[in-house]
Amino acid sequence: MESQLKQIMADVLDLSPQAVDESTTRDRIASWDSLNHIQLVLALEQAFQVSFDINEIEAMLSYADIRQVLNGKLHPSAS
Amino acid sequence: MTPSPEPASELRGAFRSAAKAGDTHRAIRAARELLHPGHHLSFLVREIAKAAEWDPPLTPIKVALLSSFSIEFAEPALVAQGFLNGLAVKIYRPGFSQFRQQILDSTSGLYAFEPNVVILAVEGSDWAPTLYRGFSDGSEVQMEACVGQVLEEGRALLTTLRRHSGATVLVHNFALPQWLELGILDGHVDRGQAGWVRQVNDGLAAVCRETTGVYVVDYAGLVARVGATSWYDERMRLYARAPIAAGRLGQLAGEHMKYCRALLGLSKKCVVVDLDNTLWGGVLGEDGPHGIRLGSEYPGNAYVTFQQELLNLTRRGVILAIASKNNPADVDEVFARNRNMVLKREHFSSLQIHWGPKSESVRAIARQLNIGLEHMVFVDDNPVECEEVASALPMVRTICLPRQPEAYVTALLEEGLFDTLALSAEDLRRGDLYRQRDQAEALRAASGSLEEFYRSLKMEVTIAPVTMASLARAAQLTQKTNQFNVTTLRYAEADLRTRMRAPEWVLATVGVRDRFGDNGIVGVLMASPNDGALEIDTLLLSCRVIGRCVETAMLAFLCGEAARRGLREVRGRIVPTSKNPPVRDLFAQHGFERVAERDSGETSWSLPLARGGVMWPAWMKVTVVDETAPVA
Repeated sequence: MESQLKQIMADVLDLSPQAVDESTTRDRIASWDSLNHIQLVLALEQAFQVSFDINEIEAMLSYADIRQVLNGKLHPSAS
Repeated sequence: MTPSPEPASELRGAFRSAAKAGDTHRAIRAARELLHPGHHLSFLVREIAKAAEWDPPLTPIKVALLSSFSIEFAEPALVAQGFLNGLAVKIYRPGFSQFRQQILDSTSGLYAFEPNVVILAVEGSDWAPTLYRGFSDGSEVQMEACVGQVLEEGRALLTTLRRHSGATVLVHNFALPQWLELGILDGHVDRGQAGWVRQVNDGLAAVCRETTGVYVVDYAGLVARVGATSWYDERMRLYARAPIAAGRLGQLAGEHMKYCRALLGLSKKCVVVDLDNTLWGGVLGEDGPHGIRLGSEYPGNAYVTFQQELLNLTRRGVILAIASKNNPADVDEVFARNRNMVLKREHFSSLQIHWGPKSESVRAIARQLNIGLEHMVFVDDNPVECEEVASALPMVRTICLPRQPEAYVTALLEEGLFDTLALSAEDLRRGDLYRQRDQAEALRAASGSLEEFYRSLKMEVTIAPVTMASLARAAQLTQKTNQFNVTTLRYAEADLRTRMRAPEWVLATVGVRDRFGDNGIVGVLMASPNDGALEIDTLLLSCRVIGRCVETAMLAFLCGEAARRGLREVRGRIVPTSKNPPVRDLFAQHGFERVAERDSGETSWSLPLARGGVMWPAWMKVTVVDETAPVA
């Protein structure tokens, strides 16, 4: 899941997948604007066949945030 | 479930290497695969932009997107879909709801962009809000005014746009509200909400027809086809003013592409179809012209439906052709005899029925009909054939049919590959013209006699005793052969095994090879002596080889067997069934005399050997495997 998440973030934000890590946050990445944020959410929803509500979308402020939300969706019992 | 990344990364690699080499066709194939799952859009769009050169070059097209909502999310899909069609799409998009200002201001960015295509994508709820919100509160006068105002404004905008730009204009009509305010009552009141939306759509279509180069996009039809509940994403409509679900943007772009292809002369003109498991279910060579699945029951009805859609295409001027690995005589038989065929021989302008590679067939059809390969579509159920054609002729659009025949129609039509924006009288007659040409060529080719045709088949017939190895096939043939079967007696393997132990029985299989390949065992003979005659119990032949005098060889063989055993005549019976008319004249045609007829219609026939028996046909090589020879 993590490598695919990195790949999608890299695709949308025009980064290399290796560059996506714990330090990847919305305020540090210039290309992570509001338009790309929606693009990212939509790409993740299609790739992982999940759906985020608006609160979740707004709480996705970093790679780590997204990973956490996504983990909760994909493995609801594990958390 | 997490999708596996491996195949995707392979596909990405394939795309990158094709793009690096500038190989347009190979890149398009990889892109089509990548777009299927949908989340590789960002990757694709960036990689497409990166590539420096393409061979063949992409056709540049400038598209202006004017809308009443945030349509920027639709851009990547439009670029990617454009690429699939060999187009380099450049997009201009002003802020949402700027469409009026952009059109009315002659110095706007829209006109500076000099677009080839302007897409006016306005949601009904934005342009005709009265029809969508508070409908049940409004009066008929208000509705009438709303419709009138939309049409008047639409007409003014289009006139202005045409004054400043020669671009083709695509105007979305309005989708119905997802939920009608009156619910099920809507259809029962004097003028319901849906009725008003239809009225404004009719008016919009009329307004578009007034100006050349302006076309209505049936957005309402698209939303209905997909389903409004999955088309819209209410969350994103409210949060980002982006009402269309992300997963549907590809379909929207696909709809726009239909228009772009038509405008650029990229519409497909010819469909080359396979036969077995494409036009009918089953394998003609195995199942025979009447055993193939085609008719009123599943799966036969799915193939009938598919044929009907192909027939509809011919009425739009699309040309049909066949590329099939089959025996031409069998296919002729289907056209001549199978009443469930919706498509007749005359609907096909070119037939390539042989055992050569299908890419060769497609090429030959293109040459014969004088149609560019880029205007051809190849349709086959077999992935191997599709791959062969796709790699040999990448400019041909290959449609590999899904496994279920009920999905064939969608696979054929969903992309709108054959859509045009005009239908000329010549379009409608085009199929006819090609057919005439084809028939003339076929006549020239077949100028010889029937005997020459038989000779050209280079048939080799092998008649051999039934062995343990051929037992199962022989029994199977008695079970399933209906047409060319004199008695239609069904036998199990055990029955045949019993007869194999009785030396008086003549039990033989008939194998046929011709220049198209080996048909394997296609006939069975069973006969035994009775009262000085060799009496035929079973004589049958698979449909795929009837009409080639194999039966003559079988009767000649039986005459020889009778003589060898010191018998004086060969006797046979015809037990008529609803399916065996093809065999009824067998004995009469070979000099037998009718000696009896029963009330049931059963006839008995006799051929005294003193009259010379039946001659071997001269144009085939016959090998009789001796009964006493050891079986390999």
